[in-house]
Amino acid sequence: MVSDVLRARVGDLAARVKGEVEESLGVLELTVNYPEAIETLIGARNFADVPCDFLHDLCGMDLEDHFEVVYQLSSLRGPQRLRIIARVERDNPVIDSATRIWKGADFLEREAFDMFGIQFRGHPNLKRIYLWDDFEGYPMRKDYVVESHEQRAIMRVRKEGE
Amino acid sequence: MDVKKEKELRDAEVDAEKNILRTSIEKFLNWGRVHSFWPNSFGLACCAIEMASTGGARYDLSRFGYEVFQASPRQADLMIVAGTLTRKMAPVARRIYDQMPEPKWAIAMGNCACSGGPFADSYAVVPGADSIIPIDVYIPGCPPRPEALIYGMLQLKQKIQNPSKVRLIKHGK
Repeated sequence: MVSDVLRARVGDLAARVKGEVEESLGVLELTVNYPEAIETLIGARNFADVPCDFLHDLCGMDLEDHFEVVYQLSSLRGPQRLRIIARVERDNPVIDSATRIWKGADFLEREAFDMFGIQFRGHPNLKRIYLWDDFEGYPMRKDYVVESHEQRAIMRVRKEGE
Repeated sequence: MDVKKEKELRDAEVDAEKNILRTSIEKFLNWGRVHSFWPNSFGLACCAIEMASTGGARYDLSRFGYEVFQASPRQADLMIVAGTLTRKMAPVARRIYDQMPEPKWAIAMGNCACSGGPFADSYAVVPGADSIIPIDVYIPGCPPRPEALIYGMLQLKQKIQNPSKVRLIKHGK
């Protein structure tokens, strides 16, 4: 159940950042383009009465013609929830990092980089988090082709300091 | 029964009265080894929970003398690969196996360690620990019950105690 106050605040914000508002699974969804992502996040964090100031989760998505970065916001001070979706170009997947707003976005953005190859501008330590450093490709992309069984059975050589 | 065999048995009987048993060194050492495996606790995923449960009071692996789970590979002679072996972990697994002193054995516990299991087609998982480590006993299951692990370890015991039988099954002569 979305409160009217939150709906009004999100509507105002959407008008300011030229975004579209939808409702999905009982949560408001605000879709914006990547240049407006940080402005949108700061706006949502500073909502009067219903601040969405806690970054619950951050993940990437591949929609074949473009990527999306999904921010799940909530708050420790209320039941309000908000989902912000930032569209990213497929050819040049670059978006500003949210680590300036939430320190906790660090590992989440590294995961999105690991799986989808989305570059987060301004991230303090953008490198692979789950996969090994010399892994080639981004496995969660739709066009990723998994190596053959024989190739995966070969043991890779471990690097010093890994 | 031939005369020679009968004589051997009679001699053994006489010795047994004096508390003497005759055997070969290899058989005697193997008899000691199979009654006290020191497994290396190499738990990688949910199978490790079953492995821990096997060592606990309910299933009580110590009945067989196998309860000394060692954190250091240098004090272990059995590696239980319990769980999904990822490609990032594979060099570490091999290194731990190499650090174990001879004689050493390895058990693949669970579908993931046997063949990759549900992750066989994944980009990040080794399809079967046997491409990294020589495996003696495979225990399928997802995860295998503690009884299955105990059965697997007893199968390994049979394997070590009867090397000629294993050779027969493997090579046919």
